Amino acid sequence: MSASGRAAPSGPPKRATAVPPYLLAFALLLLLAAVSLAVGDVRLSPAQLWAGLLRQDEFAATILWHIRLPRLIIAMLVGAALSASGLVMQAYFRNSLASPGLLGVSAGGAAGAVVAIGCGLAAISLLTVPFFAMAGALVATGAVISLARRGASTERLLLAGVALNALLGAVTSYVLSAHTITYERNAQILFWLLGGLEDRTWEHVWMAAAIVPAACLLLPLGRPMDLLSLGATEAQSLGVDVRRLRRWLIGLSTVLTALATAVAGTVGFVGLIVPHILRLLVGPEHRRLVPLSLVAGGAFVVGCDVIGRTVGDLRLGIVTSLIGGPFFLWLLRRGER
Amino acid sequence: MTAAHQGRDGPPEPRRTRAALTLTEVSVPGRLHPLSLEVEAGKLVGLVGPNGSGKSTLLSVAAGLLPSAAPGRVRWGADELPTIPVIERGRRTAWAPQEAHFEFGFSVRSVVAQGRYAHGDDEAGVAEALAAMDLGGLAARPVNRLSGGERQRVLLARALATDAPLQLWDEPLAALDVRHGLQTLALADRLKRAGRTIVLSLHDLRLAHCLDLVVVLHEGRLRAVGAPEAVLTPELLHEVFGVRASFRPGLTLELS
Repeated sequence: MSASGRAAPSGPPKRATAVPPYLLAFALLLLLAAVSLAVGDVRLSPAQLWAGLLRQDEFAATILWHIRLPRLIIAMLVGAALSASGLVMQAYFRNSLASPGLLGVSAGGAAGAVVAIGCGLAAISLLTVPFFAMAGALVATGAVISLARRGASTERLLLAGVALNALLGAVTSYVLSAHTITYERNAQILFWLLGGLEDRTWEHVWMAAAIVPAACLLLPLGRPMDLLSLGATEAQSLGVDVRRLRRWLIGLSTVLTALATAVAGTVGFVGLIVPHILRLLVGPEHRRLVPLSLVAGGAFVVGCDVIGRTVGDLRLGIVTSLIGGPFFLWLLRRGER
Repeated sequence: MTAAHQGRDGPPEPRRTRAALTLTEVSVPGRLHPLSLEVEAGKLVGLVGPNGSGKSTLLSVAAGLLPSAAPGRVRWGADELPTIPVIERGRRTAWAPQEAHFEFGFSVRSVVAQGRYAHGDDEAGVAEALAAMDLGGLAARPVNRLSGGERQRVLLARALATDAPLQLWDEPLAALDVRHGLQTLALADRLKRAGRTIVLSLHDLRLAHCLDLVVVLHEGRLRAVGAPEAVLTPELLHEVFGVRASFRPGLTLELS
C-alpha cells in the first residue's frame, strides 16, 4: 500500500510490520486446517495425514476424504463468506455494528430453510433447502434496504434489524411449533437454527462453492469501499458510482451470507468479530481488509470448529459466540487504553 | 491557464469569459425554488443567506450530487452534467461537505489521498494539500479522533487533492479558528488566481469583501447576485438577515 508505505516515517511504528498480514493469516489458516484434519474421534499423525491425503493410507484416506475434508472446506468457505459479508455490510451502512446477523439476513436464510423443511420440501432435492435459504435471505435484505435506505443511521438500521429478526424468528417458531410431532423435521430445523458442520458431504461443498466466485468479485471493490465507508455523497463526489457499487455490495453480501447459511445454518458473530479484529490489527483500509477477511474468516471458523470438536461436540454456532464474545470484549477493553 | 500567466498585479483584463458552472432553472422541491446562475471561470464566489436558505442544497445540485427537478440543468464548462461519466466528475469538480462523520479510523493522509481516487490513486499533490491545510503534523492521526475544525480541514484538503478546476465548498470556514479561516480564504484567492473557480457558502459577511461575486439566497430563492459592495447593502441585509448593518472601526484580523 503506497499510502501507508510513504507515510511510514511520520506514521505509527506498528505499520512497519516485517511480516505481511496476508502471510500471517495464510499461515494461521494452513495450520488450523492441518489441525482440523488431524483431530477428531481418530487422531491422525502428520505422516498419516499426508498418506491419507495422497490416498496411500486407505483408512486415513476414508476419514479425510469422506468426513474431514468436506467439513474443513465448508468451514473455510462459510467463515470467509460470513466475515467478508460482515465487512461489506459495515462499509455499506457506515456502521461498524452492522453484520449479516444483526440485519436479519441470516435469520431470513434460516427462516427460508426452515419453511422448506417444515413443508416437507427438503426431500425433493438436496438443493431445495439452500434455494429457500437464499430466497429468505434476499427477502430480508430487501426489507432492510427499504427500511433503512436514507442515511442509514445507527438507530434506524438496528431497529430495522431487530424488527426483522423478530418477524423472521416468529416464522421459524411457528414452523417449529407446527411440527412438534415430526421429530425428524424438527431435528433438521434445529440444525439450521444452531448452525453446524456435522455430516457435511461433497454435495454441500459444491453448493457452497459459489462463495468462491462471489468472493473474487468482491476483491476489486475494496478501494471504492474505503470511500463509501466514509460517506456515500462524498464518495459520489470523488468519482465513485455509488449506486452501482451499492448494488454490487448488497448483492454479493447477501449471496455470501445466504450461501453460508444454506450449508451451515445460522452461524452468528463471525461477520462482526473478524472484520473488527482485522481493523484493530491492520487499520481500516478495505483493499487489505477484503482479502484478509476472507482468509482470516476461514481461519476463525476452522479454529472454532476444531475447538468445538475437541471440547466435545459443541455446535459451531455455539462456539463462535462462546469464543468470539469474550475475545471481542477483551479486544474492546484493550482498544480503549 | 491564461489567468496564471497574467501575474497578480496585472490590470483586471477580461479573463476567459467561459462559464465554469451554469445552472439553468434548477430547483429542489421544498428546498430550492427554480433559479439560474452562471459562474465565470477563475472567480471566487460566495453564497450567503440565513440558515435554511438553500445554500447547501444549491451546492449539492451544482456538484451533481442532488438531482434538480425538471427542467433544471447543470453544466460544467461546456458539458451537460448527465453526459459526464461519474469518474470524470471526480476529476472536474470537488465538493467539500459542511461536516462529516467518520465512522472508521482512516488516517488523515489516506482520507486526503481519497481525493485522487478518480485519478487512479496516484498520490499527486496529496502532500501539498495536507500542507496547505496545515495538516502535516496530523497526517497519521485517525480521522475519527479529530476535532470539528480539524475534520473540516481534512475535507478541504481532500477537495484540494482532487486538483479539480471547480471547487464547491460548503461552509468551509464554519468550524475553523481565525487563523485557519483566513488561511483558507487566502488559499481560495491563490486558487482563483491560478484559474480555478471556487464557490463557497459562508456566514461571516465581514469576509464578503474577498469575494468576486456574492449570491444571496433567501428562503430557497435567489435574492441577489453581484459584487459584494453592490449587493450587500444595509437594506438587503435588513430584509434577508433581519440585522442592522453599519461600518465602524473595530477589530481587524489579518494573517501575519
